[in-house]
Amino acid sequence: MTHTIALTAPATWTPARVEAENTGERTLDQFLKGVERRALRMAELATNNRDEAQDLVQDAMFGFVRHYAAKPAADWAPLFYRVLDSRLNDWHRRRSVRSRWLQVWTRSDDEDDERDEIAQAPDSNDPGPLLRLAGSEAGQALNAALARLPLRQRQAFLLRVWEGFDVAATASTMRCSEGSVKTHLSRALAALRRQLEDHA
Amino acid sequence: MNKSELPEWTDQARSLLDESAQALDATTLSRLNRSRQAALAQRVPRRRAAWLLLPAGLVGACALLLAVGVWHARVPQTAPLASPSATVVSGSTVNVVDMDLIASGDDMEMMQDLDFYAWLDAQDQDDKG
Repeated sequence: MTHTIALTAPATWTPARVEAENTGERTLDQFLKGVERRALRMAELATNNRDEAQDLVQDAMFGFVRHYAAKPAADWAPLFYRVLDSRLNDWHRRRSVRSRWLQVWTRSDDEDDERDEIAQAPDSNDPGPLLRLAGSEAGQALNAALARLPLRQRQAFLLRVWEGFDVAATASTMRCSEGSVKTHLSRALAALRRQLEDHA
Repeated sequence: MNKSELPEWTDQARSLLDESAQALDATTLSRLNRSRQAALAQRVPRRRAAWLLLPAGLVGACALLLAVGVWHARVPQTAPLASPSATVVSGSTVNVVDMDLIASGDDMEMMQDLDFYAWLDAQDQDDKG
C-alpha cells in the first residue's frame, strides 16, 4: 500500500515549521551577537558618545530585524550595515543642522578632498604609521584618527578594512557608486596615515 | 581596490579595532544583549500568538458547543408558552428573556433549576387559564 504524504501549506504553523523558525531565530541571534560589538565601535567612532552609539545600534537592530530578517542569511551583514549606515547618516545630518546654528565658522575635513591624490598615495615599502606606535598608544592614536575622519571616509575604511567587504558590497551598503567607495577609501587611508605619522 | 591591495598597516589597524571591540565593558555588553533580545522579541509575539490562537480557538469553540448542548438538553419539552417574545428552537419554545438571562451568566444557578422554573411557569399559565 502506498501512502501519500500531504504537504502542509506554507502558511500553516506546524511544529516542524515552528522548529525551523526557532532555528532561524537562533541563527539571527548569533548573527547579531557577532556584529554588535563592531557595530557599536563603528557608531561610537561616528558619534564620539557611547550612549548615543548604543541607541543607534539598537535602532539599527530593530530596523534590520523588522525589514531584512527574512532575507537569506548570506545577505545579512551588508543589509545590517546598510541600516546602521543609514542611522549614522541621519544622526550626522541632524547634528550638522544643529551645529550650523551654533557655529558660524567650522572647518570640515571634507575640504581636504581637493588635495593631490598622487601625493597622498601610500608607499608600499613603508612599514606603516602604526608600527611606530607601541601597544595601547597605537590603539588610542588609531581611535583618535578615525574619529577625526569625515563620516563617509570612515565608513568606507571600516567596511572595507574591518568588515572585509569588497568594493561592490561596500558601495551597496553605503548606497553609492564603487568609484565613490574607492575615492572615500583612498582619502581615508591618506588622512589616517598623515594623522598617525603626526602622532608618532 | 581588492583586499590584497590595501596597505599592510591596515592589518594592524584591523587587529587594534578587534581588540577595542573585545575590550568593551560588562555594562555595555549587557545593554547590547538587551537591545538584541528586544529586537528579536518584536518578531516572536506575532508568531507565537498565531500558534497559540489555534488551540485556544478550538477550546473556546468546544466550550461553547458544550454549553449550548447542556442548555438545549435542559430546556423542557413542554407546551408552548404564551409569551409574545417566545421563539421556537428545535421544536421547543424558549422565552427570549430567559435566553438573555442565561447568556448574561449573571445567575448560573438558575440553569440548574430550569425544570422548576418551567413547571412554575406552567402552573401560572394553568391558574390564569
